[in-house]
Amino acid sequence: MSTGAQTGQKRRRAMVYCGIVAIVGSLLTVSGCSRGEALDADSATVPAAVEINFESHLDLSTPRERTGLVHTKGSFEYDCMSCHRSLKANWHLPEQLMEHRGRVLEHGNNRFCLNCHHPENRNVFVDYDGSEILERDVVLLCAKCHGPQHRDWVAGVHGRQNGFWDPAMGEKIKLDCIECHDPHSPSFKAMEPLTAPTYPARAAGKLHPVTDREEEGTEHGH
Amino acid sequence: MATEDRPEMESKAVEDVLQPMTRRTFLKGGAASMVGMAGVVAALKPLLELEAGELSIDDLLQKHYKKLEPADLERIMRRLEADCRQRYGADAQIQDLKPGEGIEFAYALNLSACVGCRKCAHACMAENNQSRDNPDDINMSYIRVLEMDMGAINVEGSTQYYDPEKVPTNGKYYMPVQCHQCRNAPCVKACPVKATWQEDDGVVVVDYNWCIGCRYCMAACPYDARRFNYKKPSIDASKVNPNQTYLSNRVRPKGVVEKCTFCLQRTRAGRLPACLEVCPTGARIFGNILDPDSEINYVLKNKRVYVLKEDVGTHPRFYYFFD
Repeated sequence: MSTGAQTGQKRRRAMVYCGIVAIVGSLLTVSGCSRGEALDADSATVPAAVEINFESHLDLSTPRERTGLVHTKGSFEYDCMSCHRSLKANWHLPEQLMEHRGRVLEHGNNRFCLNCHHPENRNVFVDYDGSEILERDVVLLCAKCHGPQHRDWVAGVHGRQNGFWDPAMGEKIKLDCIECHDPHSPSFKAMEPLTAPTYPARAAGKLHPVTDREEEGTEHGH
Repeated sequence: MATEDRPEMESKAVEDVLQPMTRRTFLKGGAASMVGMAGVVAALKPLLELEAGELSIDDLLQKHYKKLEPADLERIMRRLEADCRQRYGADAQIQDLKPGEGIEFAYALNLSACVGCRKCAHACMAENNQSRDNPDDINMSYIRVLEMDMGAINVEGSTQYYDPEKVPTNGKYYMPVQCHQCRNAPCVKACPVKATWQEDDGVVVVDYNWCIGCRYCMAACPYDARRFNYKKPSIDASKVNPNQTYLSNRVRPKGVVEKCTFCLQRTRAGRLPACLEVCPTGARIFGNILDPDSEINYVLKNKRVYVLKEDVGTHPRFYYFFD
């Protein structure tokens, strides 16, 4: 009963639609007053401004956290020179020292601490000529060996960028080398992939009849 | 000769036409018109399946985007905002951003860097308001990441359903595919109602209110870049991106085709596309190809660049490269 009434109602609604379409269509030249009343009421209550955020819905986290030249132990942070003022610089990782135990250097041919770290001032890095490279200029340290990557990074085609492509509209942010690469183990690490699209159920179902038929075919052939 | 033939033919024709109406011709004509009526009813049948308020008179009578007066478009966009609030409970701001002067967008993707993590495909969903059944559903994403065997660019042997614990897998490489915004776009040629076209900045757009849902464009596209809304899009109110434009990421109606627009709601405002902003390996490069100093031009000049399916003559604005 109710379904019959519903379809009847639907038919009536459809007929009304058709009628309206025909009438309004013939009066197209004087349209402009064809707007629905209900929608007019809705748009009257439109809030003045909708909050737009360009980033909150995107995962903009950097692939790696930038730790900086600080030694963290418990909740305390140590300046490198608080120990190294008295401790001599080492070319190799000192096995016997507690503080850097567990630190593995997997940087290819770059096997020596002092290739990057400054032998006298451990709070900075070292350039070829012994001059200091500040931590914020770490890109220049990496450029000592990775010329082509540095050239591409400067050109904006190596590493991730964020913000604006159009400099007239806003700033473009480039990530530094160490925001993606761990300097002690710089090769990019394998990561968990996000969820895959689902294989269409219909296509999956169709696979079976096809294989069945193929098997039957081979049986008949024998 | 001709003058002799003519009167004969004319007299025959007149005899044929002036035959008195018999019962047989009357019934024939009646039956034919019945069939015609049935056809009309069948054609209008989808109207029976409409939910109340799904289709307004405004929708039916709306003109093509290119023929809309600015005031009309403004009115339509406000109506669509109201629709979005009514149907999805989400506030939206729908704009109409025009292509910029002297700007032609192009995209490049570094296959040496891509690890196949699919962050781009998921960000595309977050940005472009595609329909999804759950937060992990990316079937409507404009990006398909293909996993391929090393040694060849064999798209037919690729899979988009790979799901290992970690990527990249040894011996495989990954190629995300999305709309190539072709200069010679087959989808635009295939559309029987001109509901899809190429804008001055190279972006191929769809007027969702003009699309009739025939899907010819999907059949024509060699890159599987287009998606069809088989059902009314479902999207959680909290997941609706309010930054929308008429030609890109506004929530689509059922029965229309949609596609990547290089995030024109972002890129025409000077921003980078969403897929690029989330790429953890920096594999994606976007910019203005008409600017000789742009990153995209640096790639085209200095890297080993190729286009996918060059042989089909689409002249894409999307390039792949190795470095």
